[in-house]
Amino acid sequence: MSDIVNEKQHSALFDAISGFWTEFKQNRGALYGLIFISILAIVAIFAPILAPYSPTEQYRDFLKLPPIWIEGGSWDYIFGTDALGRDQLSRMIHGSRYSFYIGFIVIFFCLTIGIVLGLVAAFTKGFIDNIIMRAMDIILAFPALLMALALVAILGPSLENAMIAIAVTYIPHFVRLTRAQALSELGKDYVSSSKTMGASKARLMFINVLPNCMAPLIVQATMSFSSAILDAAALGFLGMGAQPPTPEWGTMLADSRQYILSDPWLMTIPGLFILLTVLSINLIGDGMRDGLDPKMKSNK
Amino acid sequence: MLSFLLRKLLVLIPTFIGITIAAFIFIHIIPGDPILIMAGERGLPAEKYAELMHAFGFDQPLWKQYLDYLWQLLQGDLGKSFVTGRPVVDEFFELFPATIELAVCALLFAIIIGIPAGILAAVKRGSVFDHSLMTLSLTGFSMPLFWWALLLIVFFSGYLGWTPVSGRISALYFFDDVTGFMLIDSWLSGEKGAFKSAASHLILPTLALGTIPLATFARQSRSAMLETLGEDFIKTARAKGLSPFRVTVVHGFRNALIPVVTVIGLSVGVLLGGAILTETIFSWPGIGKWMVDSIFRRDYPVVQGGLILIATIVIMVNLTVDILYGIIDPRIRKKGH
Repeated sequence: MSDIVNEKQHSALFDAISGFWTEFKQNRGALYGLIFISILAIVAIFAPILAPYSPTEQYRDFLKLPPIWIEGGSWDYIFGTDALGRDQLSRMIHGSRYSFYIGFIVIFFCLTIGIVLGLVAAFTKGFIDNIIMRAMDIILAFPALLMALALVAILGPSLENAMIAIAVTYIPHFVRLTRAQALSELGKDYVSSSKTMGASKARLMFINVLPNCMAPLIVQATMSFSSAILDAAALGFLGMGAQPPTPEWGTMLADSRQYILSDPWLMTIPGLFILLTVLSINLIGDGMRDGLDPKMKSNK
Repeated sequence: MLSFLLRKLLVLIPTFIGITIAAFIFIHIIPGDPILIMAGERGLPAEKYAELMHAFGFDQPLWKQYLDYLWQLLQGDLGKSFVTGRPVVDEFFELFPATIELAVCALLFAIIIGIPAGILAAVKRGSVFDHSLMTLSLTGFSMPLFWWALLLIVFFSGYLGWTPVSGRISALYFFDDVTGFMLIDSWLSGEKGAFKSAASHLILPTLALGTIPLATFARQSRSAMLETLGEDFIKTARAKGLSPFRVTVVHGFRNALIPVVTVIGLSVGVLLGGAILTETIFSWPGIGKWMVDSIFRRDYPVVQGGLILIATIVIMVNLTVDILYGIIDPRIRKKGH
């Protein structure tokens, strides 16, 4: 008997995924985004093999060499070298790892803490709910970047602290979203029947209600992935994120800032890749929204 | 309407107190002794140290320090800067006009271009214009602000040489601060070329800061318009034989206003956050740059006071947006929530 139920659930899950993929495929932008991110992921995974040089080795004979498509460039250093003679291509390749690292860690914190606080707020109502939601209002009253900057100043500038600070500023969105979704689910019949059958509160929260709240949370997590990359780069740019010589893209931009008028390509390449990465993830997010919730498909 | 307003204001009080507590705790969990940091590397004799500890109230228990701080805050005193020795409130309001000037220009730029573009895209749904606008706006939305600002500098200041790179006005001009807004002051001064100089300094920061809100507004007004244009009352209005312009703007846009106003309200926080980067890059003497500089200088009273003032502005703007909903849509203020 239980086997049959399991099989049914599996095929339902399979249907959901294939339905999602059919919707997702139709969004050409999302598909391009997915291709770009997949390539970048492969580059990030195999960075030490793919990078022609070490990202921190300084080739003092070749300072600020232009990339290959500008006169004076050399095939030895396809993206050129920076002010300390480090190979830009190798730095970009290694830097892609930090983008994924930042994105995944930040959304991991946001999802776990956001979901727990949101569910607790929705299930308790009353006093605890009020306390949690007011605390979230307070965090939201501070502009995200300013709050992150102040937090990093307190914790000490480093990439890890920057990620914690960014996660703190995003958590309220996840709490609000989870709570709103859970509240709308709580009124439904399947929850009350589960309750009458004696399901514990934790079971109700995580096994019955949570899976039905996931669709918007996944979209929000995707969008937060890209904003986390942007904000971490901004903190790096202000000197409060990854510290040199880490080849994080925002930090690389900050390093090249004084050469923007003399050697503009130094800041063009990292910035362009930040833009392409963030754009691709946002395109994927758009596609996911269409696929997960066809009702919200207002953009087509 | 009055009870609606009062209710909204009452909810703000705990939030405001929470903000002060958050800012206060922020500063007091920083590792390191503020007095020693102020004293610098040479250090202090023990008795001077005790005197300063007492003068700043650091020898009191934390809750007492907070209550003292709150009491002073209610009287409009946020303490003095460690670096300049001037009251935080004075410094804030001296620099605030520069930020408002920049933020308002960026907001206007975003509204004037973004909203009509979004409406047009909704009306011409599926057209080349629609597709390119949506692609462009998603690109704008994904743009690293600091990189965009640097690109603008490289192109307009470096390559074309049209605009200055930093500051609010050329050092050639001297005139009195009347309003604190450079555009108005330079125009009032009547000095030849002063207004032009102020305007040319403002262009790039406005473009840099306004681009992301512009992209958001265009997307939001498009999707809000698409939603209302599908409603029955639009069909009725069309069937009545009203002109397409009247149908779109008067019937359609009015009903699409709520999500658009929401996004504009939310963008104030984004603008203040973006001002941090924009002002730093363009050396714009506003509160964004002031906060960053203070954070780097570990000027704690300024960071603490600045956080409270900025957060207060954000919640006041959110309140205004809430009130605007009630004006745009009378159904909301009747509902009680």
